[in-house]
Amino acid sequence: MTGTARKFSFDTLLVHGGSEPGPGGATTVPIVQSSSFAHKTAEELEDIFRGRKLGQVYTRVGNPTTESLEKRLALLDGGIAAIATASGMAAITTAVLAIVRSGDEILASSSLFGGTFSLFRDTLSNYGIKTAFVNPTDLAAVRGAINERTRLIFVETIGNPKMDVPDIHELSAIAGEAGVPLMVDATVTTPYLARGADLRADIVVHSTSKFINGTGSTIGGAIVDLGRFNWQSGKYPHFAPFFSKYRGFAFTARVRKLMHKDFGACPAPMNSFLLSEGIETLALRMERHCANALGLARFLKGHARVGWVNYPGLEDSPCHGVAKRLYGGRFGGVLTFGLADKAEAFRFINGLVLARNLANIGDAKTLVIHPASTICSDFGPEEKGLMGVKEEMVRVSVGIETIDDIIEDFDTALNNL
Amino acid sequence: MMNLTVNGKKAAIDGKDAVNIPALLTELKVEQPDYVTVELNGDILERENFETTLVKDGDSVEFLYFMGGGGR
Repeated sequence: MTGTARKFSFDTLLVHGGSEPGPGGATTVPIVQSSSFAHKTAEELEDIFRGRKLGQVYTRVGNPTTESLEKRLALLDGGIAAIATASGMAAITTAVLAIVRSGDEILASSSLFGGTFSLFRDTLSNYGIKTAFVNPTDLAAVRGAINERTRLIFVETIGNPKMDVPDIHELSAIAGEAGVPLMVDATVTTPYLARGADLRADIVVHSTSKFINGTGSTIGGAIVDLGRFNWQSGKYPHFAPFFSKYRGFAFTARVRKLMHKDFGACPAPMNSFLLSEGIETLALRMERHCANALGLARFLKGHARVGWVNYPGLEDSPCHGVAKRLYGGRFGGVLTFGLADKAEAFRFINGLVLARNLANIGDAKTLVIHPASTICSDFGPEEKGLMGVKEEMVRVSVGIETIDDIIEDFDTALNNL
Repeated sequence: MMNLTVNGKKAAIDGKDAVNIPALLTELKVEQPDYVTVELNGDILERENFETTLVKDGDSVEFLYFMGGGGR
């Protein structure tokens, strides 16, 4: 259903968009488990390498199963092209390093996922790339942190695990005034809550391992080019050869022909297949994730043992208004809440029967974790404070089970504290 | 009839003196026309000018993709 797919609704695109009938009329994407692709003549292969002809060469840079996934991902976000990667972190690393070079600066949200925070603060700083971390909901602070070396603004749609919700439309306007692209990690919201095009992002990255996969079976990532940013700028001389040839596709061309090819963080064809399968049920799952998360947040808020609940869907959340406007009255499947202290948080987690204690979000199953001692344990008190990580905090990725069963599991564990 | 050079090879289009870029892409069955870059006589064409740009007899056209290559 390529070519004519854009006239269909989003939910229909999830099922049919970007897909073609497989061999013999197969309705699922064929898994092309081949590292390389043979061509009949030397001239044909030369034409493919020169870009004169389309064709697969080597799975590190392209694969039919992955290409099908990429078409679907681009369509869902309203992008001009997408590149699938081996993980969400691979997507961020590849996309960011396509833009910034040694001596450049990134302006990033201070409430990033720990892996991204570590990449920016610890790894990229070793290569001469500095990151200024600011509160993304403080627009004056964002404006004030932009300087002549800033080359990228990077935020998450809903901060994980801080649950803050920056106004992406305002940040897009600020980035536009500064002449730098806005890259948005939309892992927690997915294109179902808001398409990258509607958010006015220049580039969207996803950890497709989470809600897009939906079953905790696959690691993957995606870079989606919204085609909004003008790369013909003195700030980005390294884009000149790509702009001169590929114009609006300059970013995707630089990623695909250089960064992604060189870094080699390609997905396995089997994983691209599993991610394509996940996309088809994204709408149904996200509806249930969001409804269950709101139901659980309201239950926790009314429980005597719970100190606080942080979920943008709660009307007293400071981010409720922005989240409601940007994400159409849906607030995602992740929340955090506080107990008395770390010991009580541990006892609570150990008392759960249904929910799994693990480091992931977006699974069909309800997941919990104590972030301070696990995914954020490498960070000191100051960084944990920026990320909104507290010792008494439990993060929940609310699954798609029957809400009464989830609440009963939590209620029992809370009452046994 | 128009005689063109397409990606370095001779190509002929019967029954027309000139065609715009979308017609040329269709005529030559160019794959993934939404993604292709078109170079006419050495100049990259802006996508918004595809409809109004005419290709005539003797022109040289290159179609370029950013997807290929990279194996070893």
